[in-house]
Amino acid sequence: MKNSLKLVLAVVLCIFLAGVAGFANEYILGIGFTIFMYIALAQSWVVLSGLTGYISLGHVVFFGSGAYVFILVWGLVPVWLGVVFSGIVVGLVSLIVGYPVLRVRGPYFVILSFGLAELVKNLVLINEARMYVSMRPVFGAPALYQLYTAMLLLAIIATGLTYWIRRSRFGAGLRSIREDEGAAETIGVPVAKLKLLAFAISGVIPAMVGAIFIMRSGIFQSGDAFTPIVSFTIVTMAIIGGSDDAPGPFLGVVFLALLQELLWVNWPEVYMIILGTLLLGFVLFIPGGLYGLFTDYVLRKKNNVT
Amino acid sequence: MLLEISDIKKTFGGLVALQEITFSIGFGETLGIMGANGAGKTTLFSLIAGHQKPTRGSITLEGQKIDGLRPDQISALGIARTYQIVRPFRGLSVLENVSTGALYGAQKMRSMKNAVELASEILVDVNLYDRANDLAGSLTLAGFKRLELAKALATGPKVLLLDEVMAGLTPNEVNEAISIIETCKRKYDLTVVVIEHVMKALMRMCERIVVLHHGEMIAEGVPDQIAENSTVIKAYLGEKN
Repeated sequence: MKNSLKLVLAVVLCIFLAGVAGFANEYILGIGFTIFMYIALAQSWVVLSGLTGYISLGHVVFFGSGAYVFILVWGLVPVWLGVVFSGIVVGLVSLIVGYPVLRVRGPYFVILSFGLAELVKNLVLINEARMYVSMRPVFGAPALYQLYTAMLLLAIIATGLTYWIRRSRFGAGLRSIREDEGAAETIGVPVAKLKLLAFAISGVIPAMVGAIFIMRSGIFQSGDAFTPIVSFTIVTMAIIGGSDDAPGPFLGVVFLALLQELLWVNWPEVYMIILGTLLLGFVLFIPGGLYGLFTDYVLRKKNNVT
Repeated sequence: MLLEISDIKKTFGGLVALQEITFSIGFGETLGIMGANGAGKTTLFSLIAGHQKPTRGSITLEGQKIDGLRPDQISALGIARTYQIVRPFRGLSVLENVSTGALYGAQKMRSMKNAVELASEILVDVNLYDRANDLAGSLTLAGFKRLELAKALATGPKVLLLDEVMAGLTPNEVNEAISIIETCKRKYDLTVVVIEHVMKALMRMCERIVVLHHGEMIAEGVPDQIAENSTVIKAYLGEKN
């Protein structure tokens, strides 16, 4: 496909999805909301983990922190300003937190990222308990169609961002870090700086997603906002779809959403089993994910022709 | 002088890896570093490229002190090294491997298009262009060695540190490698420092050779002098009865 044709198709799809907000029922909007949410999350995850190879198993930390910052300023500032504000705050804090965190790599980083999310969850929990708050309700949130549109916007921005970074000088540096950090530094890639930047960028959108999510759920509670399930789901989707480029997470989210719709209704008891098996299979045999399969196929076809 | 190494000492705990190393390299020169396994050759490269810091002494590039800088900073100043045990970016294409060098290093190209153009040109130079779109992981050893060279060249260095780029190659491949290095040296105006076990290559390429033995410099001179130097022969072959 020509690039311009792809762009036109993407724009048409986005306009259609935005137009849906006008007349679709709550059920459709709810499904759309969830799908866009995970697209935005998985795309952000790819910026850090897909490109640099620093696998984050605690991406919910950005999501939950964003939600918490948002609930703290809820009612004090206009709603959408609060959403943006939470993204900025979390991004800035990530710049500080990322500095020590990104000094470990491989499996240690995976464990540390998971631990970091649990740590922040409990800090928030303690803080809330000290203030005698067990949960914070969100009254007067915008209507679902507005939240749907906002989430769609975040999904589009996140996808565009990943697509752009993947093709940029910055992205080339990140991918060289993934392949061999020492060798990357030898050819002049400022690895510490790039990793930190990727970490912060990777946190901004999930923070805003978290803020919008609690307007939908109507309540903020530390245990829910920081649930590891969100982290695991992000990783699963990105890995099944392919984590080296923007189409990957997109495919992964759509694929899993369809699978869930299919299985959840008919065989809910086997859903998790199938999900686990799929994840194992992809990690072991198809590390490039669905999109990797596709690009391999295209490459092979091209090679056969020439 | 372009690169000056003065009174370098490096210890790892109680082990002295290098000591009292002093030499310098002029613009456009090809300097060989020779020595048995464990003589400290690669450690010396690691010190120059910033992967390790000298315990004592200083290293300057065009008068600027570079010991203590990070590897990426030193690369930005124009020193590129290759690794003896190759370190390609296996999951990226051959072209991406090289263009990443052009985007960073001393070249610091801002535009992806220019970087890809330069990388393609360098791949032609090192005779690897037909593999440009293959994954780097799929190359042979000779291919890996040439890729190491191409990555280093792409960073736009003044000084190129080559760590055994010919080890493990067949005689034909060695000849090809020598001519590639000599062509690139002229084309890109380089100063080259080579570590090599293939003696023939070292003798042919270098204007001057430094010999290391157990971390100390035991000789320095033109290839013919080195070949006849009694200390060097003793270090390599032992005493004559």
